[in-house]
Amino acid sequence: MRIEVEINGRAFEGEVEARTLLSDFIRHGAGLTGTKVGCEQGVCGACTVQLDGEAVRSCLMLAVQANGRAITTVEGLSADGDMHPLQRAFHESHALQCGFCTPGFLMSMEAYIREHPDADEEELRDALAGNLCRCTGYLGIIEAVGRAAREMRGADVQRD
Amino acid sequence: MKPSRFEYRAPGSVEEALPLLRPESTVLAGGQSLVPLLNLRLAIPELVVDINGIAELDYIHADDGVLRIGAMTRQVVLERSELVRRRWPLLHQAVRLVGHPQIRTRGTVGGSVAHADPAAELPVALTALGARFHLLSPGAARVLGASELFLGPLHTAREADELLVEIEVPEQPEGAGSGFAEHARTHGDFATAGAAAVVGPGGHAGIALLGAGPVPARADEAERALADGAEPPEAAALAAQGIEDEHRRALCTELARRAIEQAAA
Amino acid sequence: MEAGLSAGRLIGHPVRRREDERILRGRTRYLDDIDPPGAAQVAFVRSPFAHARIGGVGVPDGLEGVFAVLTAADLEGRVRHLPVQGFEGGEVSTEGHPVLAGDEVRYAGQPVAAVLAESRALAEDAAELIEVEYEPLEPVLDARSSEVTMSRWHKVSGDVEGAFASAAHVVRASHGLPRLAPVPMEPRGTIASYDDADDLLTVWVSAQDSHRQLAGLANVLERPEESIHVIVPDVGGAFGSKGAPGPETMLVAFAAVMSGRTVKWAEDREENFVASYQGRGMEADVELALDDDATIVAVRARIWADLGGYLMPTTAIPTHTTAMLICGVYDIQAADVEIVGKRTNKVPTGPYRGAGRPEAAYFVECTVDVVARELGIDPLELRRRNLIRELPYETALGWTYDSGDYERCLDLAAELVEPERRSDDERVVGTGFGMYVERAGGLFETADAELLPDGRLLVRSGSSPHGQGHDTTFAQVAAERFGVGLEDVELRFGDSKEVPRGVGTFASRSVAMGGSAVVQAVDALKQKCEAVEARLGRSVSLREIAEAEPGLRASARFESDLVFSSGAYGAVVEIERATGALRVLRLAAVDDAGTIVNPLLAEGQVIGGSAQGLGQCLVEEAVYDEEGNPTFASFVGYSLLTAAEMPPVLTAFVESPSPLNPLGAKGIGEGGAIGTPGAVANAVADALGGVRVDPPFTEDKLWRALREAGS
Repeated sequence: MRIEVEINGRAFEGEVEARTLLSDFIRHGAGLTGTKVGCEQGVCGACTVQLDGEAVRSCLMLAVQANGRAITTVEGLSADGDMHPLQRAFHESHALQCGFCTPGFLMSMEAYIREHPDADEEELRDALAGNLCRCTGYLGIIEAVGRAAREMRGADVQRD
Repeated sequence: MKPSRFEYRAPGSVEEALPLLRPESTVLAGGQSLVPLLNLRLAIPELVVDINGIAELDYIHADDGVLRIGAMTRQVVLERSELVRRRWPLLHQAVRLVGHPQIRTRGTVGGSVAHADPAAELPVALTALGARFHLLSPGAARVLGASELFLGPLHTAREADELLVEIEVPEQPEGAGSGFAEHARTHGDFATAGAAAVVGPGGHAGIALLGAGPVPARADEAERALADGAEPPEAAALAAQGIEDEHRRALCTELARRAIEQAAA
Repeated sequence: MEAGLSAGRLIGHPVRRREDERILRGRTRYLDDIDPPGAAQVAFVRSPFAHARIGGVGVPDGLEGVFAVLTAADLEGRVRHLPVQGFEGGEVSTEGHPVLAGDEVRYAGQPVAAVLAESRALAEDAAELIEVEYEPLEPVLDARSSEVTMSRWHKVSGDVEGAFASAAHVVRASHGLPRLAPVPMEPRGTIASYDDADDLLTVWVSAQDSHRQLAGLANVLERPEESIHVIVPDVGGAFGSKGAPGPETMLVAFAAVMSGRTVKWAEDREENFVASYQGRGMEADVELALDDDATIVAVRARIWADLGGYLMPTTAIPTHTTAMLICGVYDIQAADVEIVGKRTNKVPTGPYRGAGRPEAAYFVECTVDVVARELGIDPLELRRRNLIRELPYETALGWTYDSGDYERCLDLAAELVEPERRSDDERVVGTGFGMYVERAGGLFETADAELLPDGRLLVRSGSSPHGQGHDTTFAQVAAERFGVGLEDVELRFGDSKEVPRGVGTFASRSVAMGGSAVVQAVDALKQKCEAVEARLGRSVSLREIAEAEPGLRASARFESDLVFSSGAYGAVVEIERATGALRVLRLAAVDDAGTIVNPLLAEGQVIGGSAQGLGQCLVEEAVYDEEGNPTFASFVGYSLLTAAEMPPVLTAFVESPSPLNPLGAKGIGEGGAIGTPGAVANAVADALGGVRVDPPFTEDKLWRALREAGS
């Protein structure tokens, strides 16, 4: 089946089987390997991308289901310019070690913070539970997300 | 793992979808439960019927006090619904605990019901609310209550040629409160036990337990006791009394107590 | 040898990582991100039985998209079994793990055949159609009752019999640590490609270093090492599980040579759970003999290790480590320790973060608390009476602890954790401590420093990062020693044709060994540069030196005995009476890893290790059912902690520098996983009024224990 998916603003066309997962289309069809695959069960969150701005597990969607839709992946979070506040916060707070889970965290939390700009630490921790990390022990990630949320909130206030 | 091969159809309407449903086909709604099974090759359908394009199944509205939820309503939409939060708060409390935000973006109310995972929050909340489930097949329509629909873990009365199209939730009494409590080892795990409770003036009570038996079931005796003026701990103990394992019984009793107290507050 | 470096311009500073930006922007290349066009994708046929004889393997004709199916018959005479590493002073079987099962399988998940196809999906389709004649046999699932011993180590030192006979007190305790799965977020994977013309086998592998992969491949495939090129790409975590090359890596490499195709295996999560070697899996009976002022005079320990169906190359190593560390941080003059590694029909065990040290620390520290309770002495006081105070110290079992300040660690932990003990109708709160000493470093490591034409410094290291931040840490060391800025230092790792032959990253060895090799190589290069400057007779820039003498380079091979990191952990836990649910309220982690080059990264290692230690205590356990089937083939059957469960972790570093290397470093990579379980176990026992349970401390166990405690 021929599909066309917009990823990070660019159109990608490809031939897929019905059983081809969206995660595999993004990575091997469109060649955007920033999105990682950790379980193909929807638990680890490494494959999280955004579908029309909402976080989804790309390993739990068939590629055909994304036909005609718009996806954002980690490569689209900041393009070549300055890093997104979340990326900068992760760097500052040492919120990544091996980095395999990092894109999934970024895409999950960018959507979450955007939708819940006033989330408190407990809510952020709860939202973070949808992504697994085996290296950091999470405390750096919690700090980074809190920091980024404050910055993103501040930026919103300024815009108003 | 990668799924085994299957045929794929994406009907745009219920009318188009119905003829495609047979024992060898499987319905793809949110995919959050089905696709993991496909990926592990624990589900090997010949045909996947993707109903994500059936817009007519995506709705939430109240008619004459009765809440009607289209089967393809996304869990996140249920979570954000002001109508539901105000008038059927138990659903709001339960859906917030389903998986994670990413799961709820795609997962559907109908999908959760039709999958009938014994650890799922929505079936048990809907059971406590006395919900009814509308099934359509090419020749017929029927409406089942929770005890008729949920037959066992991952097993419902839905026939292979039937599509779950709507979940209907009766009006709750004015001034009723609700509570939902669950226990999971981690925030990432499925719940191992839980309780949903609605308590209203005039002795109205709806209590259902998660993880107490093979299906979510109303705790009739506990409901009657509450109506007769029993305190939450007593009612909770009645709700969990059938559980053999001591610890599980204690756990369910505690969760039922919390849910009932939250509802009665 | 210079004394340990004190904090300088860069060393000792929490420099943010240079590696981060490309990770954050999604520009990494882990194994599965590498997509050689036209590569054959591999799926394995794996045994569904824990124990079975294999009668034959039937491969149907006309399998769609399949290039080849390999079985043990195809490997016969051309591929050896995996080698087995032994240890000093003990007996270790030499029978290694076959690459593909021959006439027997010994664990569910063991690879039996390999399908090479156009895609992974097609390979899996074909794998389902391959008919293997299994004759199931009764599995052995309990180490104690297994009749097959695969490793054994026993040492008696000092008059143990006499000490026990005349002791004022003898206290016995038994403890068990179930098997754990390492679960790196990136599963394993290998790509191999063979160039016939040059007889060069190139292998990309998600691994902890290129060296062991290279040596293993050369051995098993019987090829000269020069004919193999190993490249380690970005690696998404390992925790010990990607150390020695496994059977799948060997198969992929062999298939590439045999078929002339590029061959790729990207392990999926199910395979990783079932077939990647596991950690822990030991039970111990420990006895301490004490005199009447609670001085420990002798220790006896009998330990059983559940090693699984075969010895993988490093399966036996943690058993030796555990046994050697049974004296812990205590001055115990006499010891009798025996550890037997038994065969069971489960996946083999191997090094997993801590690799024998968590087990030792757990067994010792839990027993010390049992003693404290039995004798009515405060657990901290009992420890203080027995701590080793003068270092270096040679233990009764034969290792020499090079440096440490155990009492300071303990005092700090006691202060940081803010002990709490209380009980009411709803909850009970307890506090516990666990100390550890661990062996790190050792062997040797290499580095090569080169002055580039533009005057920048290029360092090639035998260490191999997979999340630890070596690119930043080693750059700090090199830049400081060479006298340049961080931005003028480039590091290279992981390519066997590029980096000097070394040992690799495991056993908390990188800063101590790899960092020290960098120091030596950079120092040597600096001397060469200074000589050139002297020759030129004036003050010159590095670029001018490079112009005057192009290609200036120096290499180093740093060797050292083992160094011994140590620490003290404290935990405060709360158990809810109604449900038995456990919450860790806070953890204090005090580690002595000698000189800390980058405190931000070091703390990251502690917290990450603690999270794994907490996982062991709260939720992790790799359970096989009565038929030997893994119940942990997915995350549904094996839980990991999420951010929502992490308690505050208060960290502190005591820096008693090691005299054994120029940095004074000892190793921080595993302390968190080593110190945490004992502290949490002791806190749980404290909350339970002395009742002891084995981890994971699940709510049903604690609920029942509370009832037992109440009665």
